[in-house]
Amino acid sequence: MTSRGTPSRFLQSVLQNGLGRYVCQLKRISLIFSKKSPSSRGVREFIEEGVVDFAKKNPGTVVYVSPQSCTTPKIVAEYLNGNVREEAVHSKAAQEVAALVQKLSEQSGLDVIRIRKPFHTNSPSIQGQWHPFTNRPPSIGPVQPRKTPQ
Amino acid sequence: MKFGLFSVRHHWEGVMASSYLVSRGVTALGIHLQHVCRNVLLTQTREKKRWMKSYTLLMENIRKLEGPPPPKPRSHQPDWDYHAEAQAFSIRLQENFSLELLKTAFVNPCYIQSEEEGRRKAGLEGEAVALNLKDNTDLRGQGLDFTHSFLSDWCRGSFPNLPAEAVTAVVGHLTSPEVTCHVARNLAVEDLTMCSQCPVPEDVLQATFFAVIGALQESSGAERTGFFLRDFLVPQLIGKDLFEMWTVLNPMGLLVEELSRRGQPLPEPRLTRSAGASTVLPLFFVGLYSDRKLLAEGPGETVLAAEEEAARVALRKLYGYTENRQPWDFSPQSQQPAPAVRALQST
Repeated sequence: MTSRGTPSRFLQSVLQNGLGRYVCQLKRISLIFSKKSPSSRGVREFIEEGVVDFAKKNPGTVVYVSPQSCTTPKIVAEYLNGNVREEAVHSKAAQEVAALVQKLSEQSGLDVIRIRKPFHTNSPSIQGQWHPFTNRPPSIGPVQPRKTPQ
Repeated sequence: MKFGLFSVRHHWEGVMASSYLVSRGVTALGIHLQHVCRNVLLTQTREKKRWMKSYTLLMENIRKLEGPPPPKPRSHQPDWDYHAEAQAFSIRLQENFSLELLKTAFVNPCYIQSEEEGRRKAGLEGEAVALNLKDNTDLRGQGLDFTHSFLSDWCRGSFPNLPAEAVTAVVGHLTSPEVTCHVARNLAVEDLTMCSQCPVPEDVLQATFFAVIGALQESSGAERTGFFLRDFLVPQLIGKDLFEMWTVLNPMGLLVEELSRRGQPLPEPRLTRSAGASTVLPLFFVGLYSDRKLLAEGPGETVLAAEEEAARVALRKLYGYTENRQPWDFSPQSQQPAPAVRALQST
């Protein structure tokens, strides 16, 4: 199975993040859950136990908790570069939800896809790439007539 | 099925003739209500909804004709708390913005105008129309001045040999709409910007970004703002060549000027290497010698292009803007010792 058809990008970071100061890339996270449905039980438990700690630990992230009548609870994460990720947390335990929220807060928001390398070759060479000066004397100097062997 | 489709069309025409239903979506819903009421008994609500397919097809067609809905600003979407967002913006960037100034920085004059017009249309008059908000005109001017002066100083400090024109070009590149808008979008300035249009136009976004810088200078002083610019604007120079930002049409003339100003002998171009001169892919290397020493060497497809490239390489070396220069210092700012510690140190 080749991976040519799958989407890809080069390794990068948003605004050279971390060069000067590190900026947490998760700008807001909303927990959408139902007050009654059994599938949102884990999310409800996480909200009771862990969400305040998470918000205190990450003051740069705005946390919204919105109860709605829905069958599938979900977590919507918005990143500084404008990307939005929706994660369905159907009947997941509180620990799993906590781990997912933690993971979302540590990501950069760039698409999680195949990373390409900045070089490519169809037929890797052992000798090295040919260039016009391969096997020529390495001296640098004005072009002059070659010395004929005596 | 056929019967259902026919009756839908029939009703569609009937409803089109009557003009009291305005919106197309509403008419479409109206059809089915009528259809369901007339043809299906009340007890048959459990039946397979045969009208559903035509209804979804119709709505799909309408959506295709109308195109995607216009973009909505983030503040008009659910889950939005402006105060919390502004606070988080300040903490996220590890800066101490005063929140009032920060909120002022996000208010553009166009927003105030459009809001007041909206109020006037709603029937308010006199003093009730005025929105008691200060716009960011002062802050953006202040931010722009500070950014220009700081970046020029920084540029002169890190490249002492760079001429004034090149410094202007580099600063102009860093403060250009493309670069500032790119930075502002990736710092979530766009979400918080109050603007009459959506999406926010480039000039408004740029002005808002400068207003944020002005607000930072007002609230935490010039030093912190300098670090802010160093951390967020200066990294945009990474991977940029000097002559991408600064257009020099005659590099050889500039090199001659520079060398004569420094009292060095004029450069002499010499062909150092060549290959495939008679082919479609010729390659020439030209070296520039000054006082029998190699200044720089550059490649090119013709001898003239190679000479120009060599002159550019020589200029980069003279100005200290080569690719292998020492990287800039982005280390975190030195922690200011607490006053008590400082007092201890001074005694």
